[in-house]
Amino acid sequence: MNERKWRWGFNRWLVLLFIVLGFFAAKKYPPISPHVQLPAERLSHDPLFTLPGIGEFYLTNTLVALFLVDLILLAMAFAIRRQTSKGGLGMLKGVSGALEALFEGLYNMTESTAGKWAKEIFPYFATIMLIVLISNWMELIPGVDSIGFLEKVAEHGYAAQGPFLIKEEVAHGAEGFVVIPWVRVVSTDLNFTFALALISVVMTQVIGIRAQGMAYFTKFWNTSTLFSKPIFGAIDFGVGLLELISEFSKILSFAFRLFGNIFAGSVMLFVLGALVPVFVQSMVLLLEAFVGIIQALVFGMLTMTFMAQATQGHGGHDEAHA
Amino acid sequence: MQGDIVAAAKLIGAGLAMIGALGGGIGIGLSAHGAVQGIARNPDAAGTVQTNMILGIAFAEAVAIYCLVVALLILFVF
Repeated sequence: MNERKWRWGFNRWLVLLFIVLGFFAAKKYPPISPHVQLPAERLSHDPLFTLPGIGEFYLTNTLVALFLVDLILLAMAFAIRRQTSKGGLGMLKGVSGALEALFEGLYNMTESTAGKWAKEIFPYFATIMLIVLISNWMELIPGVDSIGFLEKVAEHGYAAQGPFLIKEEVAHGAEGFVVIPWVRVVSTDLNFTFALALISVVMTQVIGIRAQGMAYFTKFWNTSTLFSKPIFGAIDFGVGLLELISEFSKILSFAFRLFGNIFAGSVMLFVLGALVPVFVQSMVLLLEAFVGIIQALVFGMLTMTFMAQATQGHGGHDEAHA
Repeated sequence: MQGDIVAAAKLIGAGLAMIGALGGGIGIGLSAHGAVQGIARNPDAAGTVQTNMILGIAFAEAVAIYCLVVALLILFVF
């Protein structure tokens, strides 16, 4: 009785239609291998504003992506606020319900690691995780990284036909075009990841000082056993100095981990899309969705763990050195 | 044969830089090995073990990511 009836369905035919359309589109406009550039591309030729001593600020395409991320976060916040203010603290529906479940899990995780400091630490954890998650997942949207201005370059350009680039290398020395995308995933900008890493590490020190007062600095400048136990005291002192170095290397490893993962992912998406235009990229999109959520979790969880360690003071000598 | 030797050296250098990913791969494999064994012995601890495994993987992976960043720098910046 339980045998399943064949249904015609609708979405599966849509997928098939898009695959077939993809074949024809790839025949008509063969994909070109894109122009990869490490720093963010500038969208404006004149700087937005100039700060003395720091330099000129341009409107880059990663900045556009950051504004989009902020808009999405604000929209989510307002949606939840509307629901909670209307019906009190009843059942939340839809996106808000999913977010509630997510936050509950994250808060329990924080509480089991940080104990009574969970209330202080949780906002940093959740904020960093949400912003990194949404900016990572932005690379899954078609059109991000591929729609934009055409700009003339001196070499390695392609010929343009109307709004499209076509797969036709221009003669050597002649002017070609490359695409300057309007939106580029903000995690592929080192400035963004460094800023997040700085926030995370600096606030770790602040929370450590608030938890332990000046005693927090004995972690770095440990002279307590230097005279009572000469040899081990010297070793402890050296370990303290190493802790100081490891704080700086935390910044580097935070910044480069997120940047490297997401930049490599988007380059892989470009290259696979250029090699096999149909179907293969979809598989990699799945992998990238996974990498995106893992990196967001790792960034948030490491921040949370380091902050929890900073509140605990001495005794925990088994902490990891990143 | 055409093209210049600097471009060739860049490509070879980027490839060599990625050898360092070997270490990260071994490290991630070892940590997953340990975590799976731990979960097999004590399935109730799966949640905690997984969280710690992901943290450990993130540390092991950071080294491989440094290699990747060096390779990307060689390819696209210099």
